[in-house]
Amino acid sequence: MLKIEKLESGYGAMQVLWQPSLEVSRGSITALLGPNGAGKSTLLSTVLNSVKPWGGKVYYKGEDVTYTPSHKKVHKGMALVPEGKHLFPNMTVYENLAMGAYLDKALAHKSESLDLVYTLFPRLKERHSQMAGLLSGGEQQMVTISRSLMTKPELIMLDEPSQGLAPKLVSEVFETIRKMKYDIGLTILLVEQNVDASLDSADYVYIMHEGSIKAEGVTEKIKESKDITSTYLGV
Amino acid sequence: MIFEQLMGNIVQGLILGAVYGMATMGLSLIFGVLKVVNVGHGAFIMVGAFITLFFFNTLGLNPLLAIPVAFAVGLAIGLLFYHTAIKRLLNAPELATLLATFSAGVLLEESIKLIFGSEFRGYNWDIGNIDLGFTALPVSKLYACLGSVLIALLLYIWFNRTRAGTAMRSVVEDSEGARVCGVNVQGAYAMSFAIGIGLTVASGVLLTMFIPVGINPYMGGGYTLKAFVIAVLGGLASPYGAFFGGLVFGFIENTSYTLFALLPGVEPFALTRFLSFMILLIILLIRPTGIIKAK
Ligand SMILES: Nc1ncnc2c1ncn2[C@@H]1O[C@H](COP(=O)(O)OP(=O)(O)O)[C@@H](O)[C@H]1O
Ligand SMILES: [Mg+2]
Repeated sequence: MLKIEKLESGYGAMQVLWQPSLEVSRGSITALLGPNGAGKSTLLSTVLNSVKPWGGKVYYKGEDVTYTPSHKKVHKGMALVPEGKHLFPNMTVYENLAMGAYLDKALAHKSESLDLVYTLFPRLKERHSQMAGLLSGGEQQMVTISRSLMTKPELIMLDEPSQGLAPKLVSEVFETIRKMKYDIGLTILLVEQNVDASLDSADYVYIMHEGSIKAEGVTEKIKESKDITSTYLGV
Repeated sequence: MIFEQLMGNIVQGLILGAVYGMATMGLSLIFGVLKVVNVGHGAFIMVGAFITLFFFNTLGLNPLLAIPVAFAVGLAIGLLFYHTAIKRLLNAPELATLLATFSAGVLLEESIKLIFGSEFRGYNWDIGNIDLGFTALPVSKLYACLGSVLIALLLYIWFNRTRAGTAMRSVVEDSEGARVCGVNVQGAYAMSFAIGIGLTVASGVLLTMFIPVGINPYMGGGYTLKAFVIAVLGGLASPYGAFFGGLVFGFIENTSYTLFALLPGVEPFALTRFLSFMILLIILLIRPTGIIKAK
């Protein structure tokens, strides 16, 4: 579904990505783990081309989309739930969700998408007319995830969706991610700091450190190899 | 007698204020979306004034007809300027865009001077007065005021009721959030910059109705300064805040002018200018984010 080959990018003169390569197969949950500052968020931003790639390739459904503008990637079905929410604080919950259906393709399915996210997060239905900026942290995260679902994605990339949430909400977020896979049939690239919960949900795991991939494998393998988990994940 | 004069100045002040407000919306729009301060603001107003001269003196047409043309010219200049310079400078330190907009202003001023010379020009569009009892209101100024209100309303409708306008609002609220919704953020930047310049050039047409013989290549400087005061009054980033800031400013300017004129030995024009900047300083000291809370 998504194939990343030797991607390079950075900020100004500082290179952050040093040719990581990874693949996300259709219908899977692929976890990208690694310490703070490893370049995980930069990788996702570069895949969406909101940070410009310097080199390497991004293929989506077999097509080279390395330099395709972000809004066209969203149209093609690639979604990103960015780190740190980025919702529209002075719009209502409903208006935020409606913005997710901004593109024609998504607009055509707006009401069924709304039903879907209201089923996933009934709280959002109760709060639909509230200003998003006034919601609790957990509710804001639900809005951000839902807004991306409203774009009618096939691939969804989530950047630390459980960050800063209370334990009960963390398990709710991971439950939702599994539903995205099993009930909605999405392909998921999950960036997380929460190693245990990620290893419980993921099919395949990549471990990133200082801008490149240091280890990869099916989840069971990664769990078993103690030197990998202790070196890179502090488990 | 003084009361009547004051009443007259309140009305005239609000009418001028509506036009001042409209003339600041472009500045606030560009700042609100791109966080770019257009230091060359007044030069774009000047371009609108020269377009009006051309319409009235050369073509013999109604100056109001210059409004859509000025807007279109502003859109074109705005797009050109955005794509040649601003786009590349958005991630650079703020000084870069300040210098770029300053230079664009100088470039416009000197180009117009090269073509038309630097003497003061004007035109006389006399279409009568409306007698309000306490004051006589030139119909041309009334048109300028109505035009400003109409343009402000259109902008409001465009922002809140159209897809492109909603996309623009989402970019203002969170550009990264807008991007992941599929909004073409670069396109939205270009569009709001162009619309901001379009509004500013169009406002130059409306402002000429208040300065019968005050049109020259360097007329913009004063308007740039006033627009800064108004934008700060209105909360900087909101075009509607700017509109109300304009009303307040027009009112203060006109009323204080009348009051200062009553003082013996005072040059009211200079003192009014002084007062404007006192207001700016005071606001910046007590409420740096502006008086009217931006939405
Ligand atoms: N917008 C930015 N501008 C400059 N440097 C950045 C920016 N975002 C991240 N970085 C730097 O890039 C490196 C990787 O950061 P990031 O991709 O956020 O890592 P992670 O998501 O794995 O924590 C860090 O050194 C960080 O300081
Ligand atoms: Mg990160």
